[in-house]
Amino acid sequence: MTDGATATTPTTPTTPATPATPATPATPRRRRLSGWTGVLLVCLTVLALLFLTPTVGVILSALKSTRDIAFGTLWAIPRTLDLSNFAVALAHPSVKFYFVNTFLVTAPATAGSITLGILAGYVFSKLPFRGSEILFLVIVSGMFFPPQIILIPLFRLFNRLGLLDTLWPMIIVHIAMGIPICTLLMRNFFATVPAALREAAIVEGASEWRVLTGVALPVSLPALAVLGTLQFTWIWNDFLWPLIFTQSDNKRTIMLGIVSLRGQYTVAWGVQGALSLLASLPTLLVFLFFQRYFIAGMTMGAVKG
Amino acid sequence: MYHSFLFAARRACSTRGTRVPTAIRAGGVILALGLIASLAWASPAGEAAMDSQEVTITHYFGGDLGRAGLEEIFGTFHDQTGVTVVDSPIGHEDFKDGILVRAAGGNLPDVFSYWAGARTQFVVDGGNIAAIDDAWSANGLDAVIATSVADGATMYDGSRYLVPFGYHYAGMFYNAKVMAAAGVTEFPSDWDGFLALCENLKAQGIIPIALGTKNRWPGQFWFDYLLLRTAGPDYRAALMAGDASYTDPEVQRAMELWKELVDAGYFAPNANADEWTDASDKVARGDAAMTLMGTWITGYWNGQDLMAGDDYDFFEFPAIDAGVPNAVVGPVDGWLISANSPNRANAEALVSFLASDAEVQAKWAQIQGALSANVNVDVSTYTPVMQRALEAVGNADTFAFNYDLATTPPAAEFGLDMFSRFMDSPDDYMQHLADTEEGARGVFDSQ
Amino acid sequence: MKQKERFWRIALLFLPLAVFGVFVVWPLLDTFYYSFTNWNGFSRDYRFVGLDNFAGVVTDRLFTNATVNTLIWTALAIVLPTAGGLTLALMLDTQVPGAKAFKSVFYLPICLAAVVVGQIWIWIYQPDWGLLNAAITAVTGSPPAFAWLAEPESALYSVIVAWSWQQMGLAMVIFLAGLTSIPTYLLEAAEIEGASRGQRIRHVVLALLRPATVVAVALSVINSLKAFDILFIMTGGGPFHSSDTLAMYMYSESFKKYRIGYGSSISVILFLMTLSVITVYFRQLKKLDELYD
Repeated sequence: MTDGATATTPTTPTTPATPATPATPATPRRRRLSGWTGVLLVCLTVLALLFLTPTVGVILSALKSTRDIAFGTLWAIPRTLDLSNFAVALAHPSVKFYFVNTFLVTAPATAGSITLGILAGYVFSKLPFRGSEILFLVIVSGMFFPPQIILIPLFRLFNRLGLLDTLWPMIIVHIAMGIPICTLLMRNFFATVPAALREAAIVEGASEWRVLTGVALPVSLPALAVLGTLQFTWIWNDFLWPLIFTQSDNKRTIMLGIVSLRGQYTVAWGVQGALSLLASLPTLLVFLFFQRYFIAGMTMGAVKG
Repeated sequence: MYHSFLFAARRACSTRGTRVPTAIRAGGVILALGLIASLAWASPAGEAAMDSQEVTITHYFGGDLGRAGLEEIFGTFHDQTGVTVVDSPIGHEDFKDGILVRAAGGNLPDVFSYWAGARTQFVVDGGNIAAIDDAWSANGLDAVIATSVADGATMYDGSRYLVPFGYHYAGMFYNAKVMAAAGVTEFPSDWDGFLALCENLKAQGIIPIALGTKNRWPGQFWFDYLLLRTAGPDYRAALMAGDASYTDPEVQRAMELWKELVDAGYFAPNANADEWTDASDKVARGDAAMTLMGTWITGYWNGQDLMAGDDYDFFEFPAIDAGVPNAVVGPVDGWLISANSPNRANAEALVSFLASDAEVQAKWAQIQGALSANVNVDVSTYTPVMQRALEAVGNADTFAFNYDLATTPPAAEFGLDMFSRFMDSPDDYMQHLADTEEGARGVFDSQ
Repeated sequence: MKQKERFWRIALLFLPLAVFGVFVVWPLLDTFYYSFTNWNGFSRDYRFVGLDNFAGVVTDRLFTNATVNTLIWTALAIVLPTAGGLTLALMLDTQVPGAKAFKSVFYLPICLAAVVVGQIWIWIYQPDWGLLNAAITAVTGSPPAFAWLAEPESALYSVIVAWSWQQMGLAMVIFLAGLTSIPTYLLEAAEIEGASRGQRIRHVVLALLRPATVVAVALSVINSLKAFDILFIMTGGGPFHSSDTLAMYMYSESFKKYRIGYGSSISVILFLMTLSVITVYFRQLKKLDELYD
């Protein structure tokens, strides 16, 4: 809830000097609602329990042996705390590769897609030209088709480039496939930076680059947090591209590792559950870390489109 | 709030160095580090130059046991030959996509596992697979590969392509304790006996048969055996090749027999909700008495500490019509070598080693609950149940591939759909057969 | 000035357009090309078959079925997570204690791997010992043993519920952001003028949340058109294609029947369909821009 947060509220552009101070955006409202609050609390608790049920299922599966699950006792509370699935998951010879690889793909791909989205978004927002709307539409359309459509062409392309079985295809494809959403959000975000401001800076002799990095970006931190969280989560959890582009076990990512635990005629529910819990930690941490910005960020830019 | 923009704007103009917020700068640093690290980590050049003596291999034998077992086997191969095996196991379903994309992109691994039969024929037709007749004779594989699987599984268009690694046999696996408690001591060898067994179990409140058709293929064993035991192997081969029709009276009869079983209430309800493992679990739990499944079920059950013989056993699918040759059904897993493999000699050495080393074969069969394709494997390494499975195969007149390996993959899709559709609405079997025929006909006509 | 602007346009757009062009547009054109062939993926040679694939698709019953399912899926995958997320956000945008913890709970599902989430939902829907049937039995007293994922009429909807569960947190976060931006004085003014709680929510909050709704809907559309993993794991499009979406059907034609050409033509049609969705969405976006600029 930076003061930027109120800048783009739909109703306030004409009255930019909203009295709402950063620290207390919502405090005064609904104060005398203790009865309501009680009802809400009960509703939310029930909903939260319902919501947690499948997650609890994942945890339960991680605490049980395949035999337990096969005998239909998945949903029973375990009598003893059996962590052997976690031990097996961690002792898996390739798990450390999986985590390192996933990070090495996710971090640059997240940063790269956001960087390119910033560049394109700035042009579409502040430097429109003839045909830029059509170009924008073409880029945004990239968000909407299932990636399976270009599976084989991409594989052939990277084969020709000699990049198969490296992390590069995953990084590049995630950057490319992330450009649409990043461009869209950044464009809408930059749209809230007054044009007059940019012109004033330009007149005073600043370059576009200076305006972008010195004016537009400093106030767009929340939007970056939004995109960071979204892209990080999506890329971390992807398993289609690693499946197609990697061959060696030590180039694989964690999602593919989870999937590959299952054999032709074998199951590994418990170990898969344990490993997927471990694998969800980074994305959860990213969400918790960015949560504040995330909320404020959505307020500022994303809300507009 | 405008003043904050103005402040930022003025700052941007007045200071020489661009002021970038810390978080963005941090992001930039992470990006740079990530890129550098991935460059170092991902670079393929270094490794390839280090060790040219290597073979890449991809297979669907995932899972802890399969993976560890193969790792050890590949280690032995390295010790004997100095050739490093670069292994990349993939889950079963994902393997199918992965290998297709790699074939389409012209980047197959040197060696990959595949299912013998129509699927191998399909990739051989594509021109991506190396014939291995020379390596086959040079390594004397004729002498070690069991005749029951040798020619049918390895020869395509007159050349050897596939080196068998292991095979399975489909039989009626049952819960021995449930059967004993129900007083069943004799297992049927003919159809009337089988119907009587089902009726007996049902009368005692036991669901006779579990079947999980969610992934469709488990239904194929019923179709295969019912057709093989009535119309016989020759007719079935014609149907699989597109030379007969799914609407023929022969196929109708097989479906009618199947429908009688369903109508009599011998199958557990909701077959389409279950995978083969769920059906196997039902039998293991005693919620159903038996399931028609391949010998890999023994590997699955052994993994849950069930004992071969004491907890589970099997009987052969009963005879139906007299005078029909005795056929058994199952899949053969094997290895193929890519046509443009740069490591051809090493690849051939590896597959020969995998097939001909009796110790490797014995170990592998044990891990997978499979039958070894190698005749030199000591029979005593098998569980009693697997020994009987081996006998069943040995006594049979023909070894037939199960449905989805017997007919060409695009056509098999229609039949597989039919199996789960049939379990949902058995009364409409004529319609299902007509739809299957229409789909399969389209595939065969376009070839 | 103008020259400088042109320079910056080119300089800033070069990298994004190059990456997007080479790694998205070009492969897409490749797919268009395959859609006119009979390539099976394994074979080295293939023929051009003109518009045969497209003619086949138009008369294909399974394609029609998948199209209808895609429309159902997209509609519900927009409505359910969006409505659910809005409800959650409205409940959390109060002084309720523990709001932060609740937010994390509702967001958690997005963090979990689709493979495992899909399997857990299979076990929830399991007819014999699944949680859902057990709960129904506990409430009604009669054992239902309904096989949610195995019946053609319920399979698609059952997966959509699981999907909505996973996606609801995302919509919630977006609406929370939108709510934070609604000035308090507007609500207070409405309260003073005697508007009831319901009226305040309807006339003030929902009206002002329209921009947030556009985002939430857009993200739902994006995700639902891409949604594949969870469907693949829970039903694989089955039983017998009853839960096929176009993405799923394209996949099974290409990778199970080895009809890359035919699958590509499904892709092309899917792409054209989504392009029309985008146009509508883009218009909406422009309208909003005009509204608030």
